[in-house]
Amino acid sequence: MKRSFVASAAICAVAGLVLSGCGSSGNNGEAANGDITLTFLGADYGTGPADSSTAYWQKVAADFHKANPKITVKVSTINWNDYDTKVKTQLQNKDYPDILQGEFFPQYATDHLLAPLSDVMTNPDAGLAVFKDGFSVGGVQYGIPFDTSARALFYNKLAFTDAGITNPPTTWDELKTDAGKLKAKGYIGYALPLGPEEAQAESYLWMLGNGGGWQNSSGKYAINSAENIETFQFLKGLVDAGDTEPNPATYDRTADSATAFAQGKVGMESNGPFLTATIAAAGKLTTSDYAAVPMPGKTGPLTQTLGVADALQVFKGSATKLAAVKKFLDFALNDDNQLAWAKKYALLPGTQSAAAKLENDPILGAFVKALPNTVLYPSDSNWTATVLPAIKKSIGTAVTGDPSKVLGQLQDLATSGS
Amino acid sequence: MTAQALDAPAGRRARRRRPIRFSTKKLVCAVLAYIVALIFLVPYAEMVVAAARPKDQLTDPTILPSHFDWSNFKTLWSTGLGRNLQVSLEVAGGATLLVLLVALPAAYYTARQQFRGRTAFLLLVLVTQMFQPTAMLVGIYKEFSSFGLTDSVFGLILVNAGFNMAFATWILNAYFSSIPVELEEAAMVDGTGRLGALLRITLPLAWPGVVTALIFTFISAWNELVIALILTTTPSKQPLTVALDSYIGGYQIDWGHLFAASAIATIPVIVLFAAIERKVVGGLTAGSIK
Amino acid sequence: MAETVTARTFSRRRSLAPLLWLGPALVLILLVVLTPVFIMLRTAFRNIDAIGFDHGWAGWRNFRQVFHEPDLHAVLLRTVWWVVAVVVITMVFSLALAALFNQTFPGRRVARWALIAPWAASVFMTAVVFRWMLQPGSGLINVLMHRFGLLDKIGDNASHADWLGRPEAAFWWMIAVAVFVSIPFTTYALLAGLQTIPPEVYEAARVDGSSTMRSYVSITLPLLRPALTVATLINIMNVFNSFPIIWEMTRGGPGDQTATTTVFMYQIKAQSIPEAAAMSVVNFGFVIVIVLVFLKASRWKEQVS
Repeated sequence: MKRSFVASAAICAVAGLVLSGCGSSGNNGEAANGDITLTFLGADYGTGPADSSTAYWQKVAADFHKANPKITVKVSTINWNDYDTKVKTQLQNKDYPDILQGEFFPQYATDHLLAPLSDVMTNPDAGLAVFKDGFSVGGVQYGIPFDTSARALFYNKLAFTDAGITNPPTTWDELKTDAGKLKAKGYIGYALPLGPEEAQAESYLWMLGNGGGWQNSSGKYAINSAENIETFQFLKGLVDAGDTEPNPATYDRTADSATAFAQGKVGMESNGPFLTATIAAAGKLTTSDYAAVPMPGKTGPLTQTLGVADALQVFKGSATKLAAVKKFLDFALNDDNQLAWAKKYALLPGTQSAAAKLENDPILGAFVKALPNTVLYPSDSNWTATVLPAIKKSIGTAVTGDPSKVLGQLQDLATSGS
Repeated sequence: MTAQALDAPAGRRARRRRPIRFSTKKLVCAVLAYIVALIFLVPYAEMVVAAARPKDQLTDPTILPSHFDWSNFKTLWSTGLGRNLQVSLEVAGGATLLVLLVALPAAYYTARQQFRGRTAFLLLVLVTQMFQPTAMLVGIYKEFSSFGLTDSVFGLILVNAGFNMAFATWILNAYFSSIPVELEEAAMVDGTGRLGALLRITLPLAWPGVVTALIFTFISAWNELVIALILTTTPSKQPLTVALDSYIGGYQIDWGHLFAASAIATIPVIVLFAAIERKVVGGLTAGSIK
Repeated sequence: MAETVTARTFSRRRSLAPLLWLGPALVLILLVVLTPVFIMLRTAFRNIDAIGFDHGWAGWRNFRQVFHEPDLHAVLLRTVWWVVAVVVITMVFSLALAALFNQTFPGRRVARWALIAPWAASVFMTAVVFRWMLQPGSGLINVLMHRFGLLDKIGDNASHADWLGRPEAAFWWMIAVAVFVSIPFTTYALLAGLQTIPPEVYEAARVDGSSTMRSYVSITLPLLRPALTVATLINIMNVFNSFPIIWEMTRGGPGDQTATTTVFMYQIKAQSIPEAAAMSVVNFGFVIVIVLVFLKASRWKEQVS
């Protein structure tokens, strides 16, 4: 009895110590002699240690340090697949980096943890204008687009020739017909990744083709609108006819559809510019064996496609620190660095000036031109916190089950919290 | 008990001297065992084959590619995998050592002494086995970062030791209990202290248990991924599992290197096991001398 | 005087002795396991938002949310099914394999090494490689099944070959993988148990004229019982907590149709941190119930005393 009391007292003591002793380690990175250390936490866009983003950022930090010997930037990156878990764990423990690259979290701005962009960049309007609203809270911009992408329909020209198709589809009906022909030749007609990895992107591209979307024109969630239900019924028809892979709800973009396309097994799929890197790495298709065109809509190709941007955001700090951050961001976002990054991962730049320089690029050019006119995901805090995880988990079941029921449940979830 | 034990080795020796007879039973056993062994090796052989597939045959529907391309195994090393291998060895080795240091006395004492709280202790140890580490990531991170033990080999040693101690304690406790206390008492009468008796008499007899605990701890520390992902960020401080995980990228998966590195990662464990298995078998037969 | 001092130090040493021997173990448990558990428990009763801000005490709200999850019932049932199926199949196979590998035959050592491969490799990689081997168009398992005429058609759009896309088939395959990775340890534990049985016992049975099967049931199994109990117990806990197999092969999907409670907890975590903590607490209660049921059924107390 006595011992168990001692034990529980000890547990409480240790736990109390841990709970109170956590948080910032007291050292804010500023030394007495004016040296400053900034911590940078980013996502790793690479595949394996050979092309990890850590190496990229270390080079940027080293170049920067040469020009600014007083400022050292300590870099660490996290695999995208573990990003959510690790960043949330770290931030939940109030272990904030100075600069965070990757997802933009509007809640941090709402909770007054982020520094306004105008405090940390000489030219806060350097980023592509289309992403400005998404990275703003209450009219103040807190994040700058660091890298971006736009989606298009990739098609395998060899497969098209094989199936006797001359032109890529521009409407849903054409797409269905073509997919059927491709399927007859043993290809996946249209690869439909509605698995948890990025179901929100695939769904959105289809919704846009029917005048739908996650939210209506007045910014209210409209996941189970008549247009969206019709869209998913069309997709269900594609799946039932065997024009796609058999089970979209467990089919992911990176592991499944991109790998299969790069191996020449897919006729069509929607994807971003980064697919070209996967294709090049696989070494099966040459750049003339495939092409990308605007995603077909119900009656004609999309005039506006989905745009996605990853952000740089800065946590609040002392004026000296923010001044150092400003120097670093100005440097990190210069055109050379932006273009190096874009080339490295086949992504698009986040700044207007770097994007302009890529407009005539043979591979990325077409995607860059689509950027200014893209539509984005909702940017309210309910989206990242509640709606998005639910979409990832369950929207794929809409094409095998009852679309209106699945979309209805998501709509209920999206509107219940607000 | 003792009398029977003394007879046993003699009986075994006599049997062993008999020439090997190729009975049907033996043949059937051997064939069955080989088939089972083959089935258990298939996934890992496929790992090697997939790693050695030429790029353009990666997803061909064939059992083997037309030729093998071993370049994935060579290019691995230029990316610092050797360093990750070293971290893994340090973590798994350190955790194994720590578990033995901590679990041996606890297991021995609980096996030999009746004291208040003995059952409570054994149950507490059992309960620690029931928690899923993924459920405790936030707590682990909070605690270890407040002690400055992130990005540290020592931190990983502590975590792995903590989560594997339960099994080691239980199995060692079982082994110690099965060794007759009379043997130790005899040694203590001869003037050897309790510690001496433990080291000289009991420990050698419990060796198979020690080896089992050792292998179990080493393997599970070697393969731990989820906590290492949370606790380490610097590539040179990360164990092999985390380095492996990075081949599954956000935009691409490098199947070739992933499988090549996985195959390499299993080799040290197999070597350890092969080196120690003879002792397990030897120890196991010794364990029957009660 | 001298006598009393000795007696007193002795008794004090006696009362402190357990702490001396068990102390290091207790410290390790306290630091590494119990402290995070305490933090988890606390989280389950807090109102923490999606990005980790703590808005105060939440009472039982997180638990109410867990119990209102529409799929909880199905997930709990599936988990029981998962644990029972994996553990029972593992034990049956391991008993057979332990008996087989306990025979003497040429090459036994090499065959035993092969058996440990799934134990030596990480479960995470084994799951990845099984997912790879089950790819509908090119996976080795499908290619082999097709060659032996067990599968009508393979290809990236062949629906029968897409095992992991269909929840029921996927679940059975994942049970198979879980059995596959559980067998090595279990077989070795039983093998160790088998080898502690003195050969004389069998010789006596042979003199009695018992058949091999009968002596196995009447002699081997009862003597193996301690090893069987411990191996089953460890398997129950491991299989219940098993995460990488399902996560790597299906992510618990489609939806949560192949999730066990552990995977379900992880899925919840993406939406609500405190609800996931509450789910972890529920999980812990659940595994204790399963273990208690097992211990009662196996009459563990009798065995120990």
